[in-house]
Amino acid sequence: MLLPDIPLQPLERGQINVMRLTSAVGFGGAAIATAIAGWALSQSWEWLPVWAAPLAITLLGIWTILLAPRRWARWGWAWTGRELHVASGWLMQSHTIVPAARVQHIDVTQGPVQRMFGVATLVLHTAGTANSEVDLPGIARETAEGIRDAIREHLSSDPW
Amino acid sequence: MSGEAGESGDHGPRRVHPGTIAIDFLRRAPQTVIGLPAIAGYTSGRSIGWILLAAAVLGIVMLLITWVGWRRFTYTVGEHELVIERGLLNRSRRSIPLARIQDVSIERKPLARLFGLAEVKVETGSGEKDEAVLDSVSLAEAQRLRAALRGYRTPMAASESDDIPIEAADAAALPVIFRMPLSRVLLLGAFSFSLVWIAALFGMLQFFDQFIDFGIDRARDWAEVAKDEVQARFSIAAALAVAAAALALGVVSGVIRTLLRDYGFTLRAGGGRFRRTRGLLTRSEVVVAMRRIQLAMVQRGPLRGALGWNALSFQTLGGSNDPSGRQAMAPLARDHEVARIVETAGLPQFERLPLRPVAAGHVIRCVLLALPWPLLVLALALAVTPFAWLGTLLLIPMAGAALLQRRFHRYALRDASLQVMRGVIAQRDWIVPFENVQVVTLRAGLIQRWLGVASVLVDTAGAGGGGAPDVVDLNLADARALANGLVERIG
Repeated sequence: MLLPDIPLQPLERGQINVMRLTSAVGFGGAAIATAIAGWALSQSWEWLPVWAAPLAITLLGIWTILLAPRRWARWGWAWTGRELHVASGWLMQSHTIVPAARVQHIDVTQGPVQRMFGVATLVLHTAGTANSEVDLPGIARETAEGIRDAIREHLSSDPW
Repeated sequence: MSGEAGESGDHGPRRVHPGTIAIDFLRRAPQTVIGLPAIAGYTSGRSIGWILLAAAVLGIVMLLITWVGWRRFTYTVGEHELVIERGLLNRSRRSIPLARIQDVSIERKPLARLFGLAEVKVETGSGEKDEAVLDSVSLAEAQRLRAALRGYRTPMAASESDDIPIEAADAAALPVIFRMPLSRVLLLGAFSFSLVWIAALFGMLQFFDQFIDFGIDRARDWAEVAKDEVQARFSIAAALAVAAAALALGVVSGVIRTLLRDYGFTLRAGGGRFRRTRGLLTRSEVVVAMRRIQLAMVQRGPLRGALGWNALSFQTLGGSNDPSGRQAMAPLARDHEVARIVETAGLPQFERLPLRPVAAGHVIRCVLLALPWPLLVLALALAVTPFAWLGTLLLIPMAGAALLQRRFHRYALRDASLQVMRGVIAQRDWIVPFENVQVVTLRAGLIQRWLGVASVLVDTAGAGGGGAPDVVDLNLADARALANGLVERIG
């Protein structure tokens, strides 16, 4: 907790499943791809252990899926009425504060997996450079739209 | 022309012109519809009929995809915002408040012109370029959109009278606030001595060395006894000559480059703008609107700083005809000259005294971050040649700089600005007015958490990269106070 005086809200529970499913699909795809590549290579090199790379990737994937609740728990957000706080990260922890007055435009996005579990991503764009796009994944679509409408009330005329 | 999907009313969602599907299809056809089956057919040795069939199937699939993309893309000009919805699988809904729209441009590419269409680009001055692109709508719709989107900003635009360009004749009459005489441009050139030439020359030396070796090999046949002496003399003399030549070339090339770029450097101010003219062969003029200045940065190189010279640059957010990024305002200036330009820009002065240092942990982290790579390189070099021990001499200043980092990394929240200084050998000072801070991020990595410190990253508009006024390795409590203080002052 980098800023303990801001009470953070957790993401929707559905986001855990989104994390699980995206890791499963990602690592599964990678395992299949390496299995095919390994099989193709083993035609010419018989000593190649075809199972090694897919197995390693599968184990890594299982580990990532099992850790999904803990990764999920690292996320937190708060809308204070003046600014949006987004905290995330395990090894590298970060807490980003976006003042509503600085927001240029707002995206609410939903991928297929997110739709499946009823969550959305709120994306705030500012005039900044290194951190001009701040993402808050895994909140309910209504919440995202509520924050979007609240931010619109706070726009100052000249953000830069 | 069936109009924009036949929607009625000004506020209903609209689609871009259906002709866009045809344009998109035509634009992508050459490489996919024709290219892919042709390659596939050629490599597998099929007949021409098979290739045509494959092209037709692929074409229909692509047309279908393009059509779905077109159908899912809608835009709505609401009372306060422009809403763009897009995507079949990854659905996104973008809201652009009308008050934020900076510029609406209409572009007509040749293919779109053929269909009587135009591309509308909406810019809000956010980090990315072209936040909304409507590709493409009919020309009439483009003009209606521009009127609707721009109209919202007119009351504000009226107050921006300083944006009216000043006539060229007036520009020359504006007061000069900084000027570099020829002697100072030459001095700057001497400072800008470039090491690239030295590297190039040593590369050449390497090349000629082999050539010389070859010659000596031949000579060995005739005079074996003289060989050692010749080689020794020749290489010492050659090395000295090349080093001198490289040094001279480094200085000369630095002077020439600087002379070409900065000859007649003149900075004028007036009408809410800076005008910078410089250059020997190509005279360049850059206009920087003061209200678009995001922050001021003062840099001092190792030698220049010791002699009391500064380089001042402003980070600006470009407008329609102003450049964005970091603009050099004074490449070589004394403290009082820098202070005068900063004052003219309406920025607070940089004050060193009230600044406070970051946490003591910063020293440990600097050393931890600075040493591994040089040590690794040294270890690798040692495997090649025992002379690499000489490299340890380089480690001493590096370690020294790391130990001194904390002394030179200070910050303060002043009345109207965040002020940060950082860097030992190349020093930098930042003046960041609070109203130009965009996003504040607290960050702590693994080592930082062990040390009980965190960094405060300050994001500003116009230019990113290494020149950000970040405050690294503060005590956790100080970091929280700084982040909260910054956000409070943004309002």
